[in-house]
Amino acid sequence: MANNNPPRNAKSAAAKPSSNRGAFYGILVAIVIVGIAAILYLKASPPSADSGASAQAAYAALQRDYAKAGPPRPYVMGDSTAPVVIEEFADFECPVCGSYATVTEPDVRRMIIDTHLAYYKYYDFPLPMHHNTQSASNAAACAADQGKFWEMHDQLFAGQDAWGLNPDGATQVTDNPKSVFMGYAKAIGLNTSDFEQCYDSKKEQARVNANAAEGFRRNVNQTPTFFINGKMFAGSIPYDVMKKAVDDAAAAKKSAPAAAPATTPAGTSAVNPAAKPAAPK
Amino acid sequence: MRRMIIAALALIGVFVALYLTLYKMGVIGHLACGLGGCERVNTSKWAIFAGAPVAAWGVAFYTTTFVVALIGTSPSWIDRREIAYVLAGMSFVGVAFTAWLTYLELFVIEAICKYCVTSAVIVTAIFIVSIADVAMGSRVQSGE
Repeated sequence: MANNNPPRNAKSAAAKPSSNRGAFYGILVAIVIVGIAAILYLKASPPSADSGASAQAAYAALQRDYAKAGPPRPYVMGDSTAPVVIEEFADFECPVCGSYATVTEPDVRRMIIDTHLAYYKYYDFPLPMHHNTQSASNAAACAADQGKFWEMHDQLFAGQDAWGLNPDGATQVTDNPKSVFMGYAKAIGLNTSDFEQCYDSKKEQARVNANAAEGFRRNVNQTPTFFINGKMFAGSIPYDVMKKAVDDAAAAKKSAPAAAPATTPAGTSAVNPAAKPAAPK
Repeated sequence: MRRMIIAALALIGVFVALYLTLYKMGVIGHLACGLGGCERVNTSKWAIFAGAPVAAWGVAFYTTTFVVALIGTSPSWIDRREIAYVLAGMSFVGVAFTAWLTYLELFVIEAICKYCVTSAVIVTAIFIVSIADVAMGSRVQSGE
């Protein structure tokens, strides 16, 4: 028995070692090339969301839930005649939206909105896993009732640590954020009793739902998501990227000034923002 | 041959984990809160382990496995059984860690990231092949 086995071992060790090894190294090189190419491809065109069946089913269910909501009533800022419209879909409890709102948005306001380069629209897009975000949208809508949406917007994003997610990204700082929001209402000079009445009655819930529904109509599935003259940018984008997109959109509009402004049907994803009426603040 | 398979699998694993690490660092794609599984998994507190992104641990694990397996294919090491034991031990740790992460995805975060699933399949395949390497080595040795 001992005499029968060694030849097999010897054969396996000696047979075509160099060709095997050559093929092996060839496969490794191929894996490296494909791997680098795949990463570069994903960097150039990142997947906007998980395409898994369960994620798609959950998204379709949310789309159905919101399908009955009325037309959106976004919160607006700037010159409604500006050549470019920036539309933001955001979630008040999303840390990435908070980072955009506190780090990037001040520059956007100062150098793009205040300079009349673009008109800005904010849509609520409360994500279901953020348990206090509906309350925050409610508070913002009630502040908008008194003409102070943007002041409340800034308070909510700057104060996420006081009412939003814990650093673990999964649990909430508080189950009842109302007292925090009442503090914001007072700080920005709202009539707090009117604010509280609005907040408790949830009378602006329809507006929040309608804004979210607009996002679902446009296949938004992450926050923040921006549309710059209708072109979608999913995820937080730095100021430079936004500025370039605004400049490109303005240049494109300038080179095609005769485009019919009102031919896009309402509610489709091919939005012509310039054709939309300015929503009240 | 078995160690060549392990090396090739580990090299694929390096790129899967590298992609997730770059995604976590914001180099690929833009950071966002989302309804997709990878956003939820990669922004959860369990995406960090011992101060570093779990995906970065994956890069280190697959790189080490690749290097060990590659050394194990060289003529001077191909008959060394220590390599088989080291690969089996490492991949057992990898499978156990992956099992814990998959449990978190399914029952705690309640979201699945397809790239994590890809990594789980790779590490399981490495474990199976490394066990085969140990078993076949034992058989050959006892045959001798």
